[in-house]
Amino acid sequence: MTAYVDGTAVPLEAAAAEAARLLDGARLPLVAGLQTDVAGARAAILLAEKLHGAYDHAASDALLRDVGVLRQAGRMVTTANDVRIRADLVLLVGPRLTVLWPELAERLALAAPPRLSPDKAARKIFWLGGEPAAAAAIGATHIGVGADQLPLAVAGLRAAVAGRKSRLGGALAKSLAELAENLKAAHFGAAVWSAESLDELTIEALSGLVLDLNQKTRFTNLAFGPAQNGVGVLQTSGWMTGFPIRTGFGRGYPEHDIWRFDANRLVDTGEADAALWISAYGAATPNWRRKVPFIALAAPGTTFSYPPKVQIEVGAPGQDHDAIEWARDVASFTATSATTASEAPRVDAVIGLISEHLKGN
Amino acid sequence: MLIRLAGGHVVDPANGRDGVGDIWIRDSRIIEAPHGETPDEVFDVSGKIVMAGAIDIHSHIAGGNVNTARLLLPENHRAHVARPAETPLSTAGWSTFETGCRYAAMGFTTVIEPAVPTHTALHSHLELADIPIVDKGILTVVGEDDFLLNLLREGGNRTAIADYLASALAQTKGLGIKSINPGGSVAFADNARTYDLDDTVPFYGVTSRQITEALQQGVMDIGIAHPLHLHTNNLGIGGNVDTALRTLQAANGKPLHLAHLQFYAYGKEGKRGFSSAAAQLAAAVNTTPNVTIDVGSVMFRQTVTISCDVIRQFASVGTAKPRKSVIFDGEVNGAGVVPYLYKAESFYNAIQWAAGLELFLLITNPAQVFFTTDHPNGAPYTTYPDLFALIMSRDLRNKWLADIPKEAAELTTLASIAREYTFSEIATMTRVAPAKLLGLKDRGHLTPGALADVAVYDDDPADRARAFRHAHLVFKDGDLVVRDGQITHYRTGRALTARPAYDSNIDRRLSRYYDEVYGLSRDLFKVPEHAIGVDHAFEEVACQG
Ligand SMILES: [Zn+2]
Repeated sequence: MTAYVDGTAVPLEAAAAEAARLLDGARLPLVAGLQTDVAGARAAILLAEKLHGAYDHAASDALLRDVGVLRQAGRMVTTANDVRIRADLVLLVGPRLTVLWPELAERLALAAPPRLSPDKAARKIFWLGGEPAAAAAIGATHIGVGADQLPLAVAGLRAAVAGRKSRLGGALAKSLAELAENLKAAHFGAAVWSAESLDELTIEALSGLVLDLNQKTRFTNLAFGPAQNGVGVLQTSGWMTGFPIRTGFGRGYPEHDIWRFDANRLVDTGEADAALWISAYGAATPNWRRKVPFIALAAPGTTFSYPPKVQIEVGAPGQDHDAIEWARDVASFTATSATTASEAPRVDAVIGLISEHLKGN
Repeated sequence: MLIRLAGGHVVDPANGRDGVGDIWIRDSRIIEAPHGETPDEVFDVSGKIVMAGAIDIHSHIAGGNVNTARLLLPENHRAHVARPAETPLSTAGWSTFETGCRYAAMGFTTVIEPAVPTHTALHSHLELADIPIVDKGILTVVGEDDFLLNLLREGGNRTAIADYLASALAQTKGLGIKSINPGGSVAFADNARTYDLDDTVPFYGVTSRQITEALQQGVMDIGIAHPLHLHTNNLGIGGNVDTALRTLQAANGKPLHLAHLQFYAYGKEGKRGFSSAAAQLAAAVNTTPNVTIDVGSVMFRQTVTISCDVIRQFASVGTAKPRKSVIFDGEVNGAGVVPYLYKAESFYNAIQWAAGLELFLLITNPAQVFFTTDHPNGAPYTTYPDLFALIMSRDLRNKWLADIPKEAAELTTLASIAREYTFSEIATMTRVAPAKLLGLKDRGHLTPGALADVAVYDDDPADRARAFRHAHLVFKDGDLVVRDGQITHYRTGRALTARPAYDSNIDRRLSRYYDEVYGLSRDLFKVPEHAIGVDHAFEEVACQG
């Protein structure tokens, strides 16, 4: 385990004391990155409250795009396991899905008929707006749509399902009309997508499409989030404060605002005058533009665009130590055992140490 | 630590006490008055009501569906008054922390989260662990899972079903077994839009009634205290009293708990075809002593319905207010999160409100009817103080009755009911009976040796609600956690679990099944002992033997 203050190796205790000094002296301390397990997220959020600071997550854009549409329009959703055992039709929507989740096709067992299918017919698989080669690799019928055309295409698909005319024409309109017939004929269909590769308009249109389909048959969404416990941190934030990430405690109680508590905005405007950056899984680094003094709890070997005031190397959850993390496989939390247990400190332990050095303690 | 609560009005129906006396606490337990010992602390509670800590048997306070509701409805808890934040996150509206604080302030010391699907129990326990002060437990939801339905299709081997249930409790660290519109999630996945007691589950050829009977027997066979906790079919539909009456019959004289009965107390009288049939239903409950019920009262305000009855939740998407819902499918159980606004001016909501009170007042045995709003489905638990006040005062009910549509009031018997609950009946309903129902032998009463969970309230006939909202004193495990309605500090509560013995052959079968069907280890769905990260996260509750 290694800790540094101004680039010089120091004992962990001294680094924690220096970190506490920096946070104590700040007007608005920011906790950012937040790439950690549940225990780390809990400790970080409690620290943010204690400091009357704010917290945000490195994958907030995708996480909050998803939540943003959810809390406007609602949604029908399910799990990967449900799609695996039940869905006779799978509609992937948007680019890079098998890059974002390489095990996707295997997890959904797309090559086999669903276990609960009465007739054991092969699944129908379509991919709207994916990559032709990737679609071929998982046996999906590719329907080519550029990323910028995707919202329009999904809206067109929704119109076709509802029997309305859309503004689309040509070959795309024809393949969407065919697709619409397939969707309507599905017994239990699932739209598979990730907010990492879709914009709000498309997500909203998809939510509406799925609701429409349920007037006659069964259809649902499988929306998967970013890896490395991003969804887990969002969920932890939900039960601890009632709100997702991008929440602040400046007034003594949690307030959620996706603009006000955007980490990059807080730093770039100078509102945040100190930061704690947490990245226990890998080499993620901040991309704010102003050089706010910061403390980094990061995986060993992380290099930053400018040096942190305090740097403490932490272990990777599920690798160096046991952890509770969100698992896409089960769409919930699971307990992971360390694969190569080490003495590297845990994020929650380091935050505990920093908290002990804060003034009022 | 020796504590004397001096001169209060002790209401402890388990011991036949209802009069002035002392209660002594040593460390975490109630004790006999010791001879010749000076207490470390004396609380003069003369003029106050002294009871055991209250136990809520059915309140949706934690888990994936509750958290989805939080994320769906930020506007429900946006504005929140800042308080001195000496206890972390106690100012966070609708957070786990706030849940523990508010329950404790009302004198509740044990709360049961009643709907945890077998595949998401770890999430529920993580949230429960972040609810300070109170102890808690979960009911594990079964009845929709392909493995169990296959057991039933193959003839329902009684031993295998019992082993399956015991294994599900071990996997999820549950205290009891619940079933929700049994077979309904599977039927919904197969595009059913209604689903009744004698409807057949697609593919499996068993009816909802058969699933219920098998689970009811299975729960008896594993020997846990809590009988099958059943959310039956046709919730919330006019004329569904018929379903509730058939379900009472279907219990066949065996123990059964019927959840939130108010939502099944509807007749078809009146020109809108919707009326209260609570009087008829209460009469049936009174002659069915093998069945306990909880009310699931409705109170007028904004709330959100959170239920694993996915078929019902999907049907109510059109009435959502605000207009957004989450409908969840899922491999072992569906669910739905549908916001709803109960209004006193609404004919239907007024009937619902009255029906809940009628059940409270017309079911004669306070040990057979349990105090719930099915939080947050009928109303948030924060309305409990008002509900206590209503069942304790006919005058107050008459005031409220004046504010609901006359047409609704006439389709209930509420105005004619004179009964007012006594403190002793309140204590039976919210302390003695829940402890017995859940098998918590050292709770719900103030017998020497009992856990020192004690609530002390002002006795204020003019404002019962205030007294119940802000208890004068609350002790958890003998530790003073509430003074004058304010939380003094946090402590960690425990999750109560039942661990009946079973033949582990079922675990091997289940492991093979998970490998084959999901391509995943069943271990992923287990709640490991150490996972919660605090000492004594769990407390085992003894089985009946
Ligand atoms: Zn309920």
